[in-house]
Amino acid sequence: MAFTLLVNNIPYAVDVEPDTPLLWVLRDSIGLTGTKYGCGIGQCGACTVLINGLAVRSCSLPVSRAMATPITTIEGLSADGTHPVQLAWKEFDVPQCGYCQSGQILAAAALLQKTPNPTDEDIDRQMTNACRCGTYHRIRQAIHRAARMRA
Amino acid sequence: MSTNKPDLKNKGDDAAGMDRREFLVTTAVVGGGMMLGLFSRPTASEASSLPVTAQPWYREATVPEINAWIAIAPDDTVTIRIGQTEIGTGVLTCNAMIIAEELQCDWSKVRTEYASANRDFKEKAPEWTLKVPGNGESDPGGAAPVELGPMTGVYRRMIIHSSGNIRESRYYLQLAGAEARERLLLAAANMWSVPVAELVAKDSLITHAKSKRKTTYGAIAARAATTQLPDPSQVKIKTPDKFTLCGTEQKNFDVPLKVTGEAIYGIDIRLPGMLYAAVKSCPVWGGDVKSHNADAIKGMPGVHSVVRLPYNELTKAVDFLSGGVAVVADSWWHAQKALDALPIEWDAGRGAGVSSKDLYDEHVMFAKQPGRMIVEEGNIDTGFGRAAKIVEATYSVPYSPRARMEPGNATVLVGDGRVDIWSGDQDPQGLLRNAAMITGINGANVYVHSTFQGGGYGSNGNGPQGEQAVLIANAVKGRPIKMLWSRDEDWGSGTKYRPMSVCILKAGLDANGYPIAMEVRHATAWDLGDMGTRGLASPPYWMPNYRLTIHRPMTHVPIGTRRGTGAAPNAFYLEGFIDELAHVAGKDPYMYRRELISRNPVGAKGGVGGFPHRDDFIRALDIAAKMSNWGSPLPEGWARGIAVDDRRRPSRTTSTICAEVHTIEVSKRGKLTLHRVDVAFEQGFAFMHPLSVRKQIEGQIAWGYDDTMYQATTLKDGRAVERNFDLFAVSRMNEYPRQVNIEFFKSKRWITGAGEEAIPTIPPAILNAVHKITGKRLRSIPLKDQDLSWG
Repeated sequence: MAFTLLVNNIPYAVDVEPDTPLLWVLRDSIGLTGTKYGCGIGQCGACTVLINGLAVRSCSLPVSRAMATPITTIEGLSADGTHPVQLAWKEFDVPQCGYCQSGQILAAAALLQKTPNPTDEDIDRQMTNACRCGTYHRIRQAIHRAARMRA
Repeated sequence: MSTNKPDLKNKGDDAAGMDRREFLVTTAVVGGGMMLGLFSRPTASEASSLPVTAQPWYREATVPEINAWIAIAPDDTVTIRIGQTEIGTGVLTCNAMIIAEELQCDWSKVRTEYASANRDFKEKAPEWTLKVPGNGESDPGGAAPVELGPMTGVYRRMIIHSSGNIRESRYYLQLAGAEARERLLLAAANMWSVPVAELVAKDSLITHAKSKRKTTYGAIAARAATTQLPDPSQVKIKTPDKFTLCGTEQKNFDVPLKVTGEAIYGIDIRLPGMLYAAVKSCPVWGGDVKSHNADAIKGMPGVHSVVRLPYNELTKAVDFLSGGVAVVADSWWHAQKALDALPIEWDAGRGAGVSSKDLYDEHVMFAKQPGRMIVEEGNIDTGFGRAAKIVEATYSVPYSPRARMEPGNATVLVGDGRVDIWSGDQDPQGLLRNAAMITGINGANVYVHSTFQGGGYGSNGNGPQGEQAVLIANAVKGRPIKMLWSRDEDWGSGTKYRPMSVCILKAGLDANGYPIAMEVRHATAWDLGDMGTRGLASPPYWMPNYRLTIHRPMTHVPIGTRRGTGAAPNAFYLEGFIDELAHVAGKDPYMYRRELISRNPVGAKGGVGGFPHRDDFIRALDIAAKMSNWGSPLPEGWARGIAVDDRRRPSRTTSTICAEVHTIEVSKRGKLTLHRVDVAFEQGFAFMHPLSVRKQIEGQIAWGYDDTMYQATTLKDGRAVERNFDLFAVSRMNEYPRQVNIEFFKSKRWITGAGEEAIPTIPPAILNAVHKITGKRLRSIPLKDQDLSWG
């Protein structure tokens, strides 16, 4: 079945079964591999993308439900890695293996969109992505820094 | 394996037809935009000259190569090859720092890429570099002895495990940098006809002060490439007091690529004409496929073929854990869907019906029978006979996988007499050898193109990911195959486990509450090296009479190393039990440890009692206690727990001493909160890349906490029950302690490493604090199903 997806402001035509998770359409059909596969059951958050500005786990979203809504992946968050969250991530040298970081960064961008000046409790509540390397200490600091940069 | 042909093909589906359909399925872009194909995403990293590219694998040098590690371009850009895979520990930056330290080049012009396992297979390291310089780990101009055998290929130790990257490769990386520097200097001296001793090299500039002449590394590199030192064995490495780059805080090269999604992991490889494979192996390790009905999925969308992965002499030799089946299709989603629909009947083998409860009982039974004597000091029977009090306790840990984030994968193209593998693999040299074995193609024609890797957490953390992909690609020759395990497959069937173990500890205390005899009976299937005995064979505490025995049950569960190594369970047992003894003695657990350590004689001695690190253990405890305000009052329901360990092996003296205090709260209903962690961590002579050490320790705090709280693999019907994040929990932001303090302290030796040395102390520190609050002495992890309520 043919679908048109609007990803990072570019329309893509894809021909896949309607139950194909958005994650695999992004990665294998469109070739945007910054969005990662971690669990396939919406638990870990490695596949997080922004849909209408909200952090969504793309491994559990059928492509048929992602049409006609603007989707932002890590590749589209900024043209050159200069979104405040990305800048703060570089300043604090956050990633280790880095596999979950696309999802973490998009979750943080969504958090700041909704809560421009988050408290530690806001961060605890809204940053629900798993990081097996345990980079949480630096993620927290980087979110606070990104909030100050935006302000 | 050439007989292992695909046993199913869709009608009329030749390779060309598949190519056409793939293009239709994948890549029509509406309204322009980019063409997709072989890595066609914009490589901003190349454009902006980031120090490492998104596709970091080895390329033949197009500029003068000084030695196998270093190539220098006319514009002074220095390319440094890195032998180990970047799993998040910082090797791409750290190892470059070590070489650049000696090379004395301009750090801002350093670029890194991976070394080549293929080149390593074909080219030997220069003879003069094989001798370990200096006088062991206590010599600042030397190195710890290499533990991994000869490894005489030009890139030496490419496997990354056991925190060994710096421990084992620092000295030969220093030699590589120093040799290149000396050759650059000699080339300049020859050019100017001046004595080489009159030249100075700094920041990629060579200066002859007398004649006021200058040249750059870039300008002299081509001459240096053909200039040889008269006697390279005279090249000396710097001692840490001379370091100007190593030990400074440098950002990691790979971070900019990891915040834009550009970094290419194994899972991200895309090649023209590529097919995808999903795999299911018998979930009972050691089992195989009894039958499968490939016809049943023939008509499913995108299916190309079904490949049987046999469990035979060959696949066992390359570390398969059981036999299985792969479905090859035009997309991974199609492959996995068809695989899920494929009827498979398993032959579970000898593991059928085994449960972890059975195995626990078996371990306890083994622990009570006579075992293999590891340490016998003094006479424990006499000691127990004189004891005023006997304390006995049984501790245990469950099975647990490394549970990395990136599921196992590799992309392989088997062509005529050549194999290409794209993968993040902790052991590219081993993968090359195994690929040669599977395909019958000479290792000289096997190329491993290393990518970034989504976590490791244990040696060979990958399982047979690469080997399975090679076997499938060998059956579907001429097409690149990307094999990817589902999360379920990765955690349930593709990985090895830190084994369950049960440890019975018994101590006889004198009238003052100090042990005069101790017996440790450890039942563990961990038969790799000294995993079962590490830490337990040489406790830091003075024990005049001590016995350690190992009891080895046989299980069908595949056992591997895991972050923390044997030191993690072993320190949990010893540090938990010592805390119990302190409590029985009515003494403060910090002061009790301090007293028992200081009773040791200082001199080096095998076995128990007496070791040269005694005073550093005490320093570590003192620093951590002071950092945490040990002894100062806390609110009701709060407590501090302390533990210390050095991950020392009985056969060696290298160590990394780490003492930690965990400050926790347990609500009356039993909810545990980790508020604060204070870490005193041994630095040795020097860290190479302190920022990464700090990040490693921060991460280990979450890692050890997860082990303490949540992580266990239980077995039912011989197979793993926990196969995804729903049942195998990983803590999130809300559980990470708000306060983490890390202090480094120097000592007079090279340390073991920093990738896992803060882990062993975490479970005992937390459980010791739980006891203080609740009065409950918990002797097994994880805590998730245990009742912590009190009051």
